[in-house]
Amino acid sequence: MKQSLMDIICCPLDKQELELDATETDDDEEVISGTLTCTECGETYPIEDGIPNLLPPDMRDVEA
Amino acid sequence: MTDLADRRDAETEVYQPAEDSNLLAEAAIADLESHPADLALEVGTGSGYVAETVADETGARVLGSDLNPHACRQARERGVETVRADLLEPFRAGVFDAVLFNPPYLPTDPDDERDDWMEVALSGGEDGRKVIEPFLESVGRALAPDGVVYLLVSSLTGVDEVVELADDEGFSAVALRDESFPFETLTVLKLLR
Repeated sequence: MKQSLMDIICCPLDKQELELDATETDDDEEVISGTLTCTECGETYPIEDGIPNLLPPDMRDVEA
Repeated sequence: MTDLADRRDAETEVYQPAEDSNLLAEAAIADLESHPADLALEVGTGSGYVAETVADETGARVLGSDLNPHACRQARERGVETVRADLLEPFRAGVFDAVLFNPPYLPTDPDDERDDWMEVALSGGEDGRKVIEPFLESVGRALAPDGVVYLLVSSLTGVDEVVELADDEGFSAVALRDESFPFETLTVLKLLR
């Protein structure tokens, strides 16, 4: 995900801001892996293969 | 033999572009000429085809969101900025100039529902509006004040019923385009506040 996505996304639960912790970025400064943490409720959301998973925790494991 | 099996497996995971995708992309691109968008979102982007096409043709930044992790990966491979999401839940208030959605809309008998991603992509529950309803309830929050929604609706889902639901949420609807097929007529609705 591009860092500029931070201005567009929010915590799906309480709509508050997220804080980015990037563990891997590519040459274009795209975040490949890391976590997003809600600055209000503290819930964390994973970023894997460049895709932030912003499903609420109870839906995160849906894999039909 | 494995090729066919592979292909069949793949096709149970991500809805591929079809007539409805084209109709939605074409209608949105034509309309956005007089209503330019800087930032747009395609909800339920699937393969990412509509998001990519609209971005290419209009120059807008078009994000894609999907519940399905396979769809998110396919869309990202296509070059679409992708977020795994339930409808518009993880997007900030008032950010999108346009939101596009080709929803799962086929009315489905609960007894016939299969348990795979293609079912999620196609089935709109018993009346075909199971996903459209929460979409219409939540899209207004993420939409800019003068933002527009492009929603594909089938005659199987009930265009009048969808227009009424949109009206309940404060949107007026205009039909941009219709196309008839043997079992349904597809309509692209433009919703405005």
